[in-house]
Amino acid sequence: MKKIKEITTRLEIAKKNVKNVQESNEGSNAASFGKAFKISTELVAAVVVGTTIGFLLDSWFDTKPLLIICFFIIGVATGILNVFRSAKKMHKKI
Amino acid sequence: MAINPMHQFEVYKVGPEINLGGINLSFTNASLFMTISAILISSLLFFGTKKKSLIPSKIQLITEMSYTFIAKMINETAGSSAKAFFPFVFTLFMFVLFCNMIGMLPYSFTVTSQIIVTFVLAAIIFIGVTIIGFIKHGIKYLELFVPKGVPIVLLPLIIVIEIISYLSRPVSLSVRLFANMLAGHTMLKVFGGFVISLGLLGGWLPLSFSVALTGLEILVAFLQAYVFAILTCIYLNDALNLHH
Repeated sequence: MKKIKEITTRLEIAKKNVKNVQESNEGSNAASFGKAFKISTELVAAVVVGTTIGFLLDSWFDTKPLLIICFFIIGVATGILNVFRSAKKMHKKI
Repeated sequence: MAINPMHQFEVYKVGPEINLGGINLSFTNASLFMTISAILISSLLFFGTKKKSLIPSKIQLITEMSYTFIAKMINETAGSSAKAFFPFVFTLFMFVLFCNMIGMLPYSFTVTSQIIVTFVLAAIIFIGVTIIGFIKHGIKYLELFVPKGVPIVLLPLIIVIEIISYLSRPVSLSVRLFANMLAGHTMLKVFGGFVISLGLLGGWLPLSFSVALTGLEILVAFLQAYVFAILTCIYLNDALNLHH
């Protein structure tokens, strides 16, 4: 009996310590590092996808430089919108 | 001897060549390391859950911790309705994590540094999430592309932007993981090459960089698996709950 009691108190102390460490960690280092990676690729990916769609439509309709330019600009806009959205989401969480 | 930093990413055959209907299905080093990580994950979970003691052993502790880590992540980002997708997200996280971590060992091959591997993983997520969304909401799932409170004049442009944004998800998901692993491992090799070429006199500086970069790479390996899993949860949340 005595042993179990001892273990439970030790467990509680250990849990408290773990919680403290986690709280201080999640807010700062690893999580924000991940967010930085996320945002940087989001911007690039939207531009790439937009330009690819423009290129495909161009070769489909035979309007060589026109659509690729339009969709490149739309892609840039999408990328900025994506970054804006995830930044807003992050702001809400804080 | 020149040291090629890109040599480590070369895919080559292990064993005999298998050709099935014009498709090359040979067992490569990439498949070898995928198999190794799958076996490691299975054995970790098997031995970790074999003896269920009240005071867990180390291996049981690792298994339980990875379970609660993913369960908590799904609960927080995708809500309780996504609980059914726990096995999928857990498998995905463990597979990416183990592939990344095995890649950190010398003489091993990093499977996740191949764009096709990460892109297939991302495409499975993308197609799966889209199907789930349509099953759950029917044709109403297309409302995802029409945000509320937009003037009708702007609507055609906004819909195109939203569609591109939706299509860019698998690209950003796969490119992020691939680029991080590729860049990190190339950098490690380049600094390793500097150590050799500068020799005993000047090699100490790149060597210390190399040591620091190894630590950073282990962090990145874990972090990219985490980001991959958490973004899957976010996309699942979009499909299940349908609001921005």
